[in-house]
Amino acid sequence: MLSVPLAAMVLVGVGSPALLFALLGGAAIVNRSLPERWTSALAAGSMLVAWAALSAAFVVTAATGAGTQLLSYGAWSSSHQGGIAIEFLVDRMSLAFAALSAAIAGIVSAFSNRYLHREPGYNRYFVLLALFVTGMLLVALAGNVEVLFIGWEFVGLSSALLVAFFLERPAPVSNALRVFSVYRISDAALLSAAVLLRHVAGTDSLSLLFGGTRPTATVDLTGPNATIIAVLLIVAVAGKSALLPFSSWLPRAMEGPTPSSAVYYGSLSIHAGCFLLLRSAPLLEHAAAARWLAGGLGATTAIFAAVTTRVQSDVKSSLAYAALTQVGIIVVEISIGWYTIAFVHLVGHACFRLLQFLTAPNVLHDLHGMEDAIGNRPSPSRSYLEAMSSERMKRGLFLIALERGFLDSLLDRFVVEPFTRVARQLTRLDEWLCDVVIPTRRPVTIEGGEDQDE
Amino acid sequence: MSDPRLWVAGLVALPVLVIGCSFFRLDVERLRRLAVASALSMLLAAVGIAVSPGLHHLSIRSSALSWAPGGEAIIRVDTLSAVLLPFAAGLWLLTVAVTPRAALDRGGLRRTALASLITLGSFLTESAVVLLLLSVASVWTFLSALADPAHQYQRRIVGVYLGFSTLVFGLGVALLVRPGAQNTTLETAGMWLIVIAALVRKGILPFHAWVPEVFDHGRLGPAILFSAPQVGAYVTVVLIVPRASPDMLRMIAILALATAVYGAALALVQTSARRACGYLFMSQSALVMAGLDCTSASALAGGLLVWLSAGLAFAGLARCVLVLEARRGRLDLTTYHGGYERMPVLAISFLCMGLACTGFPGTLGFVGQELLVDGAIDAFPVMGFAVVIASALTGLAVLRMYFSLFCGRSDALAHTGLRFGLTRRESWTFVALVITLIGFGVVPRPLVDSRFAASDDILQLRRARMLERATAIRVVSAARAALRLASSPSQ
Repeated sequence: MLSVPLAAMVLVGVGSPALLFALLGGAAIVNRSLPERWTSALAAGSMLVAWAALSAAFVVTAATGAGTQLLSYGAWSSSHQGGIAIEFLVDRMSLAFAALSAAIAGIVSAFSNRYLHREPGYNRYFVLLALFVTGMLLVALAGNVEVLFIGWEFVGLSSALLVAFFLERPAPVSNALRVFSVYRISDAALLSAAVLLRHVAGTDSLSLLFGGTRPTATVDLTGPNATIIAVLLIVAVAGKSALLPFSSWLPRAMEGPTPSSAVYYGSLSIHAGCFLLLRSAPLLEHAAAARWLAGGLGATTAIFAAVTTRVQSDVKSSLAYAALTQVGIIVVEISIGWYTIAFVHLVGHACFRLLQFLTAPNVLHDLHGMEDAIGNRPSPSRSYLEAMSSERMKRGLFLIALERGFLDSLLDRFVVEPFTRVARQLTRLDEWLCDVVIPTRRPVTIEGGEDQDE
Repeated sequence: MSDPRLWVAGLVALPVLVIGCSFFRLDVERLRRLAVASALSMLLAAVGIAVSPGLHHLSIRSSALSWAPGGEAIIRVDTLSAVLLPFAAGLWLLTVAVTPRAALDRGGLRRTALASLITLGSFLTESAVVLLLLSVASVWTFLSALADPAHQYQRRIVGVYLGFSTLVFGLGVALLVRPGAQNTTLETAGMWLIVIAALVRKGILPFHAWVPEVFDHGRLGPAILFSAPQVGAYVTVVLIVPRASPDMLRMIAILALATAVYGAALALVQTSARRACGYLFMSQSALVMAGLDCTSASALAGGLLVWLSAGLAFAGLARCVLVLEARRGRLDLTTYHGGYERMPVLAISFLCMGLACTGFPGTLGFVGQELLVDGAIDAFPVMGFAVVIASALTGLAVLRMYFSLFCGRSDALAHTGLRFGLTRRESWTFVALVITLIGFGVVPRPLVDSRFAASDDILQLRRARMLERATAIRVVSAARAALRLASSPSQ
């Protein structure tokens, strides 16, 4: 009896932002954007409904003490075997995170309404925000790999497009492509894990990874298979949560509007990876090497981000690295096995950082006022470790932090440049193949005046 | 109206009507309107056939072109072709609706109608000989589109590659339909030749070099119309899959997967939007081929779905590039062009169609790729990883193109040719295509079930042929053994 209203509540919770996306996106496709008043009212209403439904689902689950439940809404893509099923795996943790996501999205939506008033991309922003919230809720509640991947992709694409929100400027657009590149690595790792899971276990259910109950799950994931899948998941998490060696996209992502930076890189998107890792705890229990890897990545990221945040010259980058420090610590907590602490840390940090991001412009304004009043800059605070460090070490650390760990240069040198070089050589090889077949001179192409195509 | 022959005659009559009218001195814009109306009517009629299961059982057989017992279906409508007919009509409609006015002439509209008629004819037959004749006609149409002096180099390239493909196809068909060739080594040799012909026509490694060259420096419009229907995939499904050995199919799938990754990787670094389109087409077309060469129902259904989604999405994407080129000239991907505010519909359509190419969730491509990976995972896990890599690279290439073509420059600095925006006809065509791709992505079940039915039919045919072949081999072996026994000295 319980599962029927719970299923309905979850469906309403997830469906509400999806419906908002369909409505605003549909209007955008036919170039008939809604007036700002309507957009903001619809966004507020949708987020409120999502939050209320998911909170109610959480209360019902918590009150009855029910464990993990698989809510199945039937086959979506096909009546045949192999089609995609819509399934949600709900428990107190997933519902709490989903309700938190809806609440934060609601707050950001209300904030954005004023912040982006009369901005040319106002409607585009809300379309992407709705896509993001839908994606986050799917990630939080996913019961199978397909649903998880759909959410993961929604979050990634909306993130990249919001980084390029000010699309008349080259820098945000170029940075958005960088961000998306890392997200694609993350997506590929997640999908590879899914492919391997299906190959090894013959199922796409996340119950195997997340430890739920499912009668069809007959294979236990242990040994090398568990380790490989866990490592692929960690790569996916590292990409999405900007852990080392993928951290360099984080400051680039700050090109987007402040509310989107708050909801993505302050509170929700950056924690999506941590949440996935937390959900995969049962798998990590069987993969000690992967746990060590996650712990190592989390610790080095935390130290790196803590150092780097101190030298950032803009408040958003500084906050982003501060957030990354905590994300690193959360990953360490998960790898140690302190799951409850990690979840509480995640929720608290998401709320705190959201507040910091949203109030950052005001804080800056106040700081400038204070500086004007005292006629000087307040002296920076110095930590104990900083005071104890030698000048040489401080200079070295400063340089590393200033260059953000040289991660961009390393990525360019060892990944982008070799890839581009090889691909260009192959392009030339293709041209040469044509020349071999027809050994006559290639006609010179005149810019802009070449073709009349039907 | 329950006679499928009437429907098929109606479908064929529409492009014939446009071809006939193109010989009169009609105003070009009026001829275009006629072509748009004909293409729309053809689309509606084809959709009518696709949604009426009662019309899926047309088969006009003849023994004139084949020595196979019972002959071959010269014209047929079945579960496979029923959905391909609206696909062909949709591509024709897209072409005539969004071709820039400056590029219109009667000859072009005639060629477009003829190319659509040939595609339609190909999808309506299972006869190897008819497919060969139509293949010759389509290559001739494509070559005639490259007849102007500016494209002589590309014309020769196409002539060499597709001429070779047609020649090899002809030899293969000759061996295949030869009397007494069934279940013999000659049939296998014929199969290999047809496989090579299909690989060349689809631009699969190592026969791919003509594709980017023709897209980049040839005429993009005819290249899209020739490539997007993927008649090579149809040849594969009708002639190769039912007869080929598992090893042959595995080899094709491996080449196709390598091409999918190769095309996507090279699309990412191109400086010309046209050449990037060429490599994207190679990648998409190869994914289709990989799916079709799996013997699992899911993977085959996935391949059939990716065929539709990639064909429509790719044709739309490349048409967007053409529409932009008509306003800006050649498009260089090393710089930002801007202009999103002027043409939001085109920008959003481009992005949606690009995402459909990558198999992004919510588009038809996602469902197709999921089925493809799901079906191949047990027998051929490498396919899963290759699809993942190709999809990741394609996504990056598409977003790079989108950013370069529509963003990064303020509206005031964007090309002056953009101030006119899109015409209403162009807007509605692109919107309709996006709605189709997303609509079937959100509600995929009817289409997916129809592709499963088609893949079941194909695999059933394959099983029957394999059984027939095994029986024939057993009979021959038994006869040989009996002969040996009869001629042995002890007797």
